Amino acid sequence: MDLQDLGYALTQVVHNLGAVSVTGAAAAARGLKLAEPRTAQRVLAAWVLGGWAAQAASGVSFGAISYLSYGRFPDIHGIAIGALMLKMACAAAGFLVAALYLAREAGWSGPGRQRAWTVQLALALTALASAAFLRWFS
Amino acid sequence: MTVFKPLLLICSLALSGAALAQDASVMISSPADGAKLSTTAPTTVTYEVVPGPKGDHVHLYVDNGEAKVLRQLKGTATVDALKAGPHTICIKVVDKSHTPIGVEKCIKVTAG
Repeated sequence: MDLQDLGYALTQVVHNLGAVSVTGAAAAARGLKLAEPRTAQRVLAAWVLGGWAAQAASGVSFGAISYLSYGRFPDIHGIAIGALMLKMACAAAGFLVAALYLAREAGWSGPGRQRAWTVQLALALTALASAAFLRWFS
Repeated sequence: MTVFKPLLLICSLALSGAALAQDASVMISSPADGAKLSTTAPTTVTYEVVPGPKGDHVHLYVDNGEAKVLRQLKGTATVDALKAGPHTICIKVVDKSHTPIGVEKCIKVTAG
């Protein structure tokens, strides 16, 4: 088994699970009624936070494997670079919103928490869409 | 010992990439190296690639700028009309993640 392929595959596993985590948890929380226990939403926020961290770490890992193998990073251009930038921005913003949620949600109103989840879900879906463009316009 | 394991992994990754890349090749049959090209008409690049175990597809570059991603390993690609002056056209074999594996063919042409 080729170590490089194994590295890419394992990194892809983490990346995919991160995407599932942020999208699934945000969608679940967004669908919950405002009266749902806040503890459940905090658990989902932790999943989202972890998911974004996994996305970022595995994204860096993709580049690192390429660099270790060939001494350079992947060559992408045009739409693919735009998609990568958008994906990175979503990850940074999503991580920040999730961290803020965990730190300060106690002082937020029900609609405020709901807005945070709406933003989180929008970021997750945007990142997923960007990933498709990054994949096929590279 | 624990220090050596990550080093071994890193070395294995680097060596596997370098060694297997040697089984790949790129040939540009036209334009010929040193050819004079038109500044008004697009240039057709005819190429043939053996990707080797690590290669997946190829990227076409004009003057170090990526011009096209070529999924076919043999065929032609069109490059927009070039400005007058010397230019370099390269085809590089890349892996699935679009990283050049170190196998490439470059030709120098002059437009005008």
